[in-house]
Parts: sequence; C-alpha cells; structure tokens
Amino acid sequence: MTHVSFRDRREPPYEADADYVVIGSGAGGAAAASTLSRAGASVALVEAGAWRDPADYPHSTYGSFRDLMDDWGAQLAIGRALWPIVQARCMGGTTVINSAICVRTPADVFDRWEREAGIGGAGGGRGTLRDRVWAHQDVLERELSVEEVPVAARGRSNELAFLGGERAGFPESHYMRRYVKGCIGSGQCLQGCRALKKQSTNITMVPEVEQKGLVLSSAPVERIVIEGRRATGVRGHFVHPRTRARGAPFLVRAKKAVLVAASVTHTPVILMNSGVKNRALGMGFRAHPGTGVFGCYADPVDQNVGATQGWASTGFREHPGLKLETLSIPLELVASRFSGGGIELMKRISEYRHVAMWCHAVRAESVGRVTRSLLGGKPQVRYGLDRADMLKFREGMYLLAKQHVAAGAKELITGIAGMPFKMQPNEIEKLKDAPLDPRAYIAILSHLFGGAVMGSDPARSVTDGRGRVHGYEGLVVADASVIPSNLGVNPQHTIMALARTFAEDLLEA
Amino acid sequence: MCAFYPRTDELPGLEDTGIDAFLLQFRRETTWLMWLGTLAGALVYHLSPIITIFVPLPALLLSKRLRDKHAHKLGGHSIYLVRQTAMLVKLPAGLCWGRDPKVRAKFALPPFAPDPDTWRTS
Repeated sequence: MTHVSFRDRREPPYEADADYVVIGSGAGGAAAASTLSRAGASVALVEAGAWRDPADYPHSTYGSFRDLMDDWGAQLAIGRALWPIVQARCMGGTTVINSAICVRTPADVFDRWEREAGIGGAGGGRGTLRDRVWAHQDVLERELSVEEVPVAARGRSNELAFLGGERAGFPESHYMRRYVKGCIGSGQCLQGCRALKKQSTNITMVPEVEQKGLVLSSAPVERIVIEGRRATGVRGHFVHPRTRARGAPFLVRAKKAVLVAASVTHTPVILMNSGVKNRALGMGFRAHPGTGVFGCYADPVDQNVGATQGWASTGFREHPGLKLETLSIPLELVASRFSGGGIELMKRISEYRHVAMWCHAVRAESVGRVTRSLLGGKPQVRYGLDRADMLKFREGMYLLAKQHVAAGAKELITGIAGMPFKMQPNEIEKLKDAPLDPRAYIAILSHLFGGAVMGSDPARSVTDGRGRVHGYEGLVVADASVIPSNLGVNPQHTIMALARTFAEDLLEA
Repeated sequence: MCAFYPRTDELPGLEDTGIDAFLLQFRRETTWLMWLGTLAGALVYHLSPIITIFVPLPALLLSKRLRDKHAHKLGGHSIYLVRQTAMLVKLPAGLCWGRDPKVRAKFALPPFAPDPDTWRTS
C-alpha cells in the first residue's frame, strides 16, 4: 500500500517503476487503473490534485473552489462569450464534485462513431465497441451501486421538476439514476459528499489501486517521457496543495504503457508538452453548454435540501438536442448569479428560499479547440456556439420556463441580459424571441469531449479505436478527450466504460 | 465590493460579514490571475460611474444613494465586458457574504463548519 503525497523540493527526486502509469484519477483514469490492477499488473496512478477524503472536504463554496476545483474554477472557454469550464483538480477528479449521474451511452452514439470516425466495429473476436461498453456499464452499475434518487432524498425542487415535467408532457421525465448508495439528500454533491454516499472514484477505485500499487497525489505531470516513439514514463514536480509551491521532482517509469486521463483540457496539453506530433491534437473540442431558469414559488422550495440534481428529461436529446435537469445552486453562487447590485440585488437574493433552478445542457454540434496558453503553458479553450446551437439553447430556456409554470411557479428569472429580471407566467412566449447572442446568457460548460479524438484516420484523429495514440507505442488516452462526438447525455458512465475497454485491450496486447 | 451587497432591513450586508479578513485570506489563497481579476473589477467599479449613472466621479466620491444605483447598473450593464467585470467582484464578494452564519440563518441554512483544508499526507 503506497501513497506518496507532496514532497518538498529539498527532498531528493522521487522515482518509481510500474507496468502501467496512469495520469489522472477521475472517471477515466481510475476506471482504467483499477482494471489493470485487478488483472495483476503493477499500476502507478499519478494525480495532479491533493487526496482529500470526505472528512477533508470543504463545507463552503469558497472551500470547494479552493480545494477541489481546477484553477479555482477560473478556466474559461473563450469565444464571443466567456463561459466557465467546470472541472475538478483533486483525487477522484470531477467525480468528487459532480452529481454522479449515470446514463448509458445511447446506441446512436456508436453508430455515429463508426460512420464518421471509422471505429467501433467488431474485430479480433472481442465484439463491437458498443457491446463491450454496455457490458462494462452493466458491471459498473452493480459495483458502484447505481440507484434512483430515493424518495426521502428528493427535496422539493426535484419533486416540483417532476411534477412540472409530467404536467408539461415532457418525454422521459424521471428521477435520476446516480452512482450514489443510500443518498440522504444533504445537497452537498458539488462540495463533495461528506456523507460518503456518492461513489466518487477517490473512495472506490483509487483505494483499490493503492492496495496493490502506487498512488501519487499533488503530482501534476509536466511531460510524458518518450524514447523514440515509445512512452516510457512521466515526469513532473510535486505541488503543495495549499501554497502551490513547487516541490521535489518525480519520475515514474512505465514498463508497458502510459495512460493519459488528465481531462479534456489537460490531456491534449500534456501530449503537446511531451512532443507528440499530431495535427488533430487539441481539435474536436465539444461540450454541453448550459444555463438555468429560476422559478419563484409561493412556498419555500429550499433547493439545498435534497439531492443536488435529482430529476432529468432525456426526451429532448434528439430534437431539439437538449437535456433538462435540476441543479441546486448554493446561496453563495446565487448571490453573484443574479444580475444587478446594491439594494435591488439584495431584494432579489432575499427570495432565495422560494426559488428553484432547473437547467438545460445543449447537445451542441459546435466545435472548438484546446491549445497551450502562452501564459504559463496552461490549457486554453477556444469555443463558441453557432446559430443552430444557440437556437437549441434558446429553446431550452423556453422549455424550462414552461416546466416551471406547469409546476406552479408565480414568476420566472431567466437571467437573460436585455430582458426584464422577472417574467410572469403569461409572458414566457417572449423567450421564443430571446437573443441568440451567447453574451446575453450566463452559462457554463459542464461536460467536455474531444481534444485527442479517436478515429481510424491518423490525419484526422489522435488515437485509434482503442485509445492508442497513432504513431506511438505504449501511449494510450483513456478519458473524454477521445470522444469524437457530443453524447447528449451525462458522460461519466461512458468515460468509465471506455477506459475499462481500453485497459482490457492493453492487457490482451 | 460592499456596494454590491449592502446591508438592508432584511439582510446583513457584506460589511457585516468580515470582508476585510476574507480579502486577506482570498489574496493569500487564490491564484494571482483570480486576484488580478478581482482588483481589475474593483478598479472598473470605481472608474465607471460615467458610463452607468453619467456622473464624472469615481465611485468612492459618490453619495450612498448614487453608489447603490451605480452598483446596480454596473451589475446589469448592457455591454458584456462591463457586466463581466462586475461579476469579477460579485463572485468573491458573494462567496464571503453567503458563507456568513448570520446570512445563512436568514435563509434557514445551518452554519458552515470551518473548511478543514486538510488532505492525505501518507
């Protein structure tokens, strides 16, 4: 059992060896590492962030930004509008701060990958990629105790959303299935589940890897060591979790392969920094941009009581290309999310107990790019929505407003610049003419894809259908960076199953 | 910052929630880019009454009433980048204001225990 945390720069360089080195401990990295470890391989898991157990999790949103988020949540997608990118930097990655929503990869996703990227067909007697991913998803659902949000943990916001969805006739309106075992509805998903109910990888797969192998925390990988065309290890320096001071250097050698699962923004940049040459590197960035509509209700909703996200509709995935879901937002963020300032803003915030926020995530077809910033070499994302996606975005606003009205909301807060702060239920048709300029909306990018996409053509993709980087040996990408299209559903289940599939292929090689 | 979240009859203002200590903590703990953004936002707040309430004075020289009006107009300004600079101030200020036990009590929310700021070391 070995865990190596921050080492001061006065200490000697840290060196270790393993069969496989996995960069990143989120959904992809942890799933791949645990698969390799279970098969008896020696695995070193190298995580940029600190290892915080549930007792170490922050209580406040300030603490969450400081201790769990990548770069204090200040990473932005730069386009016409500046929209924040939500990613974690801690052991367990984004599985610590997300809502652990479990949705199976839709069949049409595999069809598209086969049609457009030439991957996924049956080969070598292993079955199609679809069958293999679904088989892993079966296992993951059992292992991680996937269950529907229990009645006692739903909270009023989720119940109202269900009611509104039913009354508005929304297709596939349902309480979510999540990787949560016995949710008690503490409303703390975004700050990390201190109640130990959410099955984030830092409390499930990473300890399993640590039992038999090596886990490094506070150890951001700067580059992959590539000798000739073969990946042979990773290098970096420890970084102090509080002061961000640079610590001792580390080198972990890989006898068999290096798996990169550092996130859609960091994986392409690590590959770039390591000298990987590929024209498609950083290309094909996609996301689910989304925003919320608040409904104001006569009785308190107390959105922070109950599951942070507990209701969804996947019925608009095909047309217009949306997912609708609830999302409780902490008081600290509502304070800055509402427009205005001064006494008027305080009046607006004073209604916090009576508002529920439900949001949409757009299955956007717009494509962006991940590059290295000139300032410190950090990831930089260039991304904006085209008109077709903005039409979906706007339609999502209308659907959410319609749902709130159906659930009995007295007023609506859309947050659209240039429109009145509040809207009456009989005014929601106005949303059909809301601006299509992304700058009018306060949105975020939550689910990210691409940057090192898989495909059969090395000129248009970074990896093959097994995550192996074209033209290199022993170098595999095992996170959402390989995903060449937008899923239209929450991606954690797909990322984990894909990573397991790639790890399985490595073991068979 | 305090102009964005002033004290009202109903709610404590930012000035009641230990903003000075918060700013020292925030400066010490956040990234230089985040801190720079907050400073830039504060600077824009002070220099922009001319584009919000059409008064050619820095915000610190405005009356309380005009400061309040300025903060409100800035937070919902029609120019995107101006609105975003207000967000650079409102976000950290909101993190301070919203975690205060007095504020949380007003919304029937339990007080936060201190953030542990701990991690596994072995």
